[in-house]
Amino acid sequence: MKPSTISLTAKAKYYCAAGATILIALAVAGLFVGKYPLSLEKLLAGDPMHWRVFLTLRLSRTVVGVVGGFALGVAGFVYQTVFRNPLASPDIIGVSSGASAGAAAGILFLSGSMAVTVSAFAGALLAVVFALALSGLDRSGKNSTIVLAGIAVHSLAQTALMCLKLTADPERELASIEYWIMGSLNGISVYSIGGNLILCVVCLGILFLLHRQVILLSAEEGEARMLGVNVGALRLAVLLVATLVVASVVSLSGLISFVGLLAPHGARLLTKHNRIGTMLLSGLTGSVLLCGADILARSVAATELPVSIFTSILGAPFLIFLIVRGRKQL
Amino acid sequence: MKKLISLLLVLTMLLTLAACGQTGKNEEVTPAATEAAAPETEAAVPETEAALPETEAPVTHYPVTVTDHAGREVVIEEEPQKLVSGYYISTSLLIALDLDEKLVGIEAKANKRAIYALAAPELIDLPNVGTAKEFDLEGCAALEPDLVILPIKLKGAVETLEGLGIDVLLVNPENQELLTGMIHMIAAATNTEEKAAALLGFTMEQETMLRAAMSGAETPSVYLAGNSSLLSTAGNAMYQSDMIRLAGGANVAAEIEDTYWVEIDYEQLLTWNPDYIILASDATYTVEDVLADPNLADCAAVVNGNVYQLPNKAEAWDSPVPSGILGALWLANVLHGDLLTDADCADRIDEYYETFYDFTYSES
Repeated sequence: MKPSTISLTAKAKYYCAAGATILIALAVAGLFVGKYPLSLEKLLAGDPMHWRVFLTLRLSRTVVGVVGGFALGVAGFVYQTVFRNPLASPDIIGVSSGASAGAAAGILFLSGSMAVTVSAFAGALLAVVFALALSGLDRSGKNSTIVLAGIAVHSLAQTALMCLKLTADPERELASIEYWIMGSLNGISVYSIGGNLILCVVCLGILFLLHRQVILLSAEEGEARMLGVNVGALRLAVLLVATLVVASVVSLSGLISFVGLLAPHGARLLTKHNRIGTMLLSGLTGSVLLCGADILARSVAATELPVSIFTSILGAPFLIFLIVRGRKQL
Repeated sequence: MKKLISLLLVLTMLLTLAACGQTGKNEEVTPAATEAAAPETEAAVPETEAALPETEAPVTHYPVTVTDHAGREVVIEEEPQKLVSGYYISTSLLIALDLDEKLVGIEAKANKRAIYALAAPELIDLPNVGTAKEFDLEGCAALEPDLVILPIKLKGAVETLEGLGIDVLLVNPENQELLTGMIHMIAAATNTEEKAAALLGFTMEQETMLRAAMSGAETPSVYLAGNSSLLSTAGNAMYQSDMIRLAGGANVAAEIEDTYWVEIDYEQLLTWNPDYIILASDATYTVEDVLADPNLADCAAVVNGNVYQLPNKAEAWDSPVPSGILGALWLANVLHGDLLTDADCADRIDEYYETFYDFTYSES
């Protein structure tokens, strides 16, 4: 293996440093933007109420913004790389629609503060395990089989969601389901994020440890096999871990559109290659996008707005700018 | 040139996104929005007062022309004998107007409405004509009704029904004023104006009593948590905000001008720090959930145990239903138990349901 495929190039290093700087600035800003009038003086003076709000709400929300965005960006990179498909995103194997159907079922049939998170997580996992099992029926182990199985499971999950919506009371449960699907970080507090955050960070660690293998999977299948990789098993393992990452985030926040699709493209357009630097930059781009979007979602109006509106508004022009810039340089 | 194209692309993208955001918003507004209810409720008062002092029972002389909430003028040739109601608010009104025996079809999911089981259990077994989402046009026509009352959302069904010779009234009772208008409209069409005047008179009487009792009293701050989640609430322009005001409270979310339920976050709720947290009738979570929520441990309402849920034994009094005034009575009793005692409040609620729905609320 050539070392250049895994080490950070100077360009990637430069962009990662820039991304990290922007992210730190945004995260710090995020700690001081919100509806509760937190002030640095009160915090330094040790005001207990200010500290409680800061620690239980503001800090956890910012942490979820940073880690969640990073996770969605990295997972998007992994999906696009493994499927060798620039349009691949967590939804291609039914994660998001599974999570939505799970959340809807949780809203309709379960009670308790963590019920929706747990059932969304279960829904996402169920959808993906089902998709991977279906694809296992075809022994040829082609990429397209997983994609097709994913599309089938995605449609099934959408149908289940539609049935659940139909039985929902339009003024309360249906409203909850719609709000959940729109995605927001507004209900997040330190009491609700522990398990998801740990799982997410552990899985991200695994993905970075496996980065060589992930990138190998993007090579032609024969080539990868020659390099001694058990393509089928490895692909399943990597996809499962990436799915756990996405499920742990969306079960907390609801669907967040565009980050998983855009962040890896942005990163690739910047670094012009598909290596670990790009994977890292995908994560940083995702973080910056989600943190920025969340700051806007909680501050532009008197009420909370769905975070997906802002990930798309911020992300789409950025992507178009990169595409246009890329063309010019050719 | 390329610059121009890229600029255009970005603009189109942004416009599309903005439009998408807008559509989402509009869709949210439709269900039971309460536009600018606050100032107009006052304006509606003289109209109902005028209806009160009439000593002679008003009788409808057919044919009668009534204007519905879609602005359509509907001529009703003779007193309708078979009615269909496709909306729970109009169905509840028809029971109050003693017209439940004339109903031949009602909206879907009737078995979920407690008021039907209490006041007119026979309604539950009537054929259903579907919901505002999925209206059963043929099923409705097959019942051969004389008059069909539908929510304004179903205006698409009007032409077909009228083509079959069936009169249709579209109603949109999304605030107190429109609800009052709907009561007058349906009463005029069905020759039940006397009963309607009594119903509106009851509401007026309670309003006057509450205003007098609460004048000069302190106004504790109230956070009204919506049906869908603890973090959804009603801003100043909504029906629920009027209810809080009438009950002698101050809506902490009054600064929000949206006309539909909005989402907030815990930080906002802690900043408002309300004296009372009131859960909507059909909340999908409980008072215990709120009291046990660690994020609210410092909130005044939770510290003092002032978390209550509007009753849902009969109807959701926090929505524009004919019995909506009972929500204000109940809340006034919670906020100002000294000014409106438990017994007084319970008597008034019993009086309402005994007079108009023939059952005793406190014994049900």
